[in-house]
Amino acid sequence: MKLIDKEITIGELKEMAKRMFGDLVKADVDVEREVVVIDMDLHADGEAFLIENGSKQKDLWGINLYPEIEGDDFIEFDSMINIKPAQGNRSRGVEDEGIRKKIIEIVNKLIKR
Amino acid sequence: MQHKGLENGRWGEMSFAEQMANIGSEVERAISWKNKGNPDYSKRALDRALELLDLTVESVEYNRKKELLRTREALVDYFLFNNTYCSSDELWHGYFHPFGIYARLGA
Repeated sequence: MKLIDKEITIGELKEMAKRMFGDLVKADVDVEREVVVIDMDLHADGEAFLIENGSKQKDLWGINLYPEIEGDDFIEFDSMINIKPAQGNRSRGVEDEGIRKKIIEIVNKLIKR
Repeated sequence: MQHKGLENGRWGEMSFAEQMANIGSEVERAISWKNKGNPDYSKRALDRALELLDLTVESVEYNRKKELLRTREALVDYFLFNNTYCSSDELWHGYFHPFGIYARLGA
């Protein structure tokens, strides 16, 4: 598991994918602190790590990154940690368009092709 | 209990990835039987999946318990209730299939 607060390359992501799930790397994004934790078995692992390091659960969203894919499908908004009925998010996706845009912005800033 | 042979600790000898891959296999069977119009076989596969998931929940640390229990809730919601959490066959495949890949890497 790795905390990303500066840049990481697509090549590094591809290596992580190969070592674990084949085509994807799981990631959790803190939309307030603008950091990402990647490369874990469960999104909940990253969530626990970020909370221990100062994040608030309400700011955390789980995504999957597909390093071999370019364009919109590079980021998949699908994680059990996203089910947060108290915040109005009742599915595994990220239903708020503003939060999705913020996640994309943070990922594009930190992950370089 | 359907998995009588696993009660004595054999499940705990499997890696987390192997456990999740096995659970995923039962979920895929539940989906397959549902789509073939056999709710009885689908329910039996779901029961097996939940049985194995419960065994895994007992053995993991707190933060993993949280996700796995939410997974359990979403599975029951999908197969037996109103699919409030907007799951789908494809999303379940997407959730469990990577663990099969990971398990084959020897994790």
